[in-house]
Amino acid sequence: MLITAEMKMADLIHMDFQLLAVIQRIGIPLGFREKSIDEVCIENNVNTDFFLQLANVFHDADYFPKEKFLVFKAEWFIGFLRRTHQCYLDHKIPEINEKIVSLVDEIKDSSANYELIKNFFTDYMRELSVHIGLEEKTVFPYISALSECINQGKKTDDFIQNFEEYGIDIYLDEHSDIEEKLFDLKNILIKYLAPPTDNCKYNSLLYEIFRLETDLQIHSKIEEKILIPKVRQMEQEIKNF
Amino acid sequence: MIKVLICEPSYLVRKGLISVLNELKGGIDIKETASTDDIIETIGDTAPNIFIINTSISSILNMEQLLKDSNDEIEVVSVFNSPLNLDSSNTQISIFDSKSTLLNKLGEIIKSIDIHNEQETASEELSDREKDVLREIALGKTNKEIATNLYISTHTVISHRKNITRKLGIKTVSGLTVYSILNQIISVEDIS
Repeated sequence: MLITAEMKMADLIHMDFQLLAVIQRIGIPLGFREKSIDEVCIENNVNTDFFLQLANVFHDADYFPKEKFLVFKAEWFIGFLRRTHQCYLDHKIPEINEKIVSLVDEIKDSSANYELIKNFFTDYMRELSVHIGLEEKTVFPYISALSECINQGKKTDDFIQNFEEYGIDIYLDEHSDIEEKLFDLKNILIKYLAPPTDNCKYNSLLYEIFRLETDLQIHSKIEEKILIPKVRQMEQEIKNF
Repeated sequence: MIKVLICEPSYLVRKGLISVLNELKGGIDIKETASTDDIIETIGDTAPNIFIINTSISSILNMEQLLKDSNDEIEVVSVFNSPLNLDSSNTQISIFDSKSTLLNKLGEIIKSIDIHNEQETASEELSDREKDVLREIALGKTNKEIATNLYISTHTVISHRKNITRKLGIKTVSGLTVYSILNQIISVEDIS
């Protein structure tokens, strides 16, 4: 179902609780009473259309209005993506890690195998934080500098000093695929590892991995299909300055 | 399981094809895309048995080039935006085709793949040669080193790697290493 501005915000969450993630990452607190999506967005200084498009993308895998997205400000995406990164690093990843560690602790006889999984995931966490670090420390500041240039109609000192030589293509060369390892982990857990007797814990670990994977897929889609084309547009624009 | 990849710009046609496929047989794994962005990666990732593509797209692509890297046989079905003659083959469908025509054509293709798959499933286990290659991968060797060690060409190494990944559902080197240890193809001491 298409999500529209006059729907009540609370109803939206009843309809699809996964959208809580969008609401949190766009910076809207709960406690909606009977307010509509539009009212809540205005109150929190969030562009209603931006929220609606994001909510629809997360709600419906078929919905992806690339053109509509390209008109939104790059800063809005950066804010959203930053909060998403934070959510991964502070909550989702530690939660999965905790579950793995607690499985290792419980299983004594085949713990060597779980030790492998633990190390595998530790590697993954390192990879993910490098990946996120690169975006936070280089790419996002670069995009902010670009949009500042466009606002001022000239290349700013900050841009000339820090980013004159940089371009989004440099980032694309360095940036690695962060979903493949998660995919592997899932398959190892489902197909090749003897499960412990406490299936509930094991399942909840798998469940968390599936959820993180889906989340990452949408996240990468926003970065690759919207943010990067948008940056290319901006790069073209300042070439003439 | 039969895997189908649909590359069709029209949302209506895409959903219609999916609905026909689902009526033919349960449990078909269907992936869809509206455009040719990343189409090479998508084909590589999904390794489809059937690739349904609209002729308005396939006519501007170099299809041979596109499919040459996938060593499995892919059945390509073309979707035409115009009516077709009655004697059109099973691998040509039109957006004007009736439900029964579509069910017949696609049904024949699925049937032939099913028969082919039944013969193949026995070989879903890794072959001895693939295990040799897997051992080398898990030890962190490059394709070139593996080729030298096993007296095969790098091209053969790459094709073994593809089959290993397809059979196990594991893509990364570290994932393959974990699998190898779990299945005693290498031991933890080997890699430390």
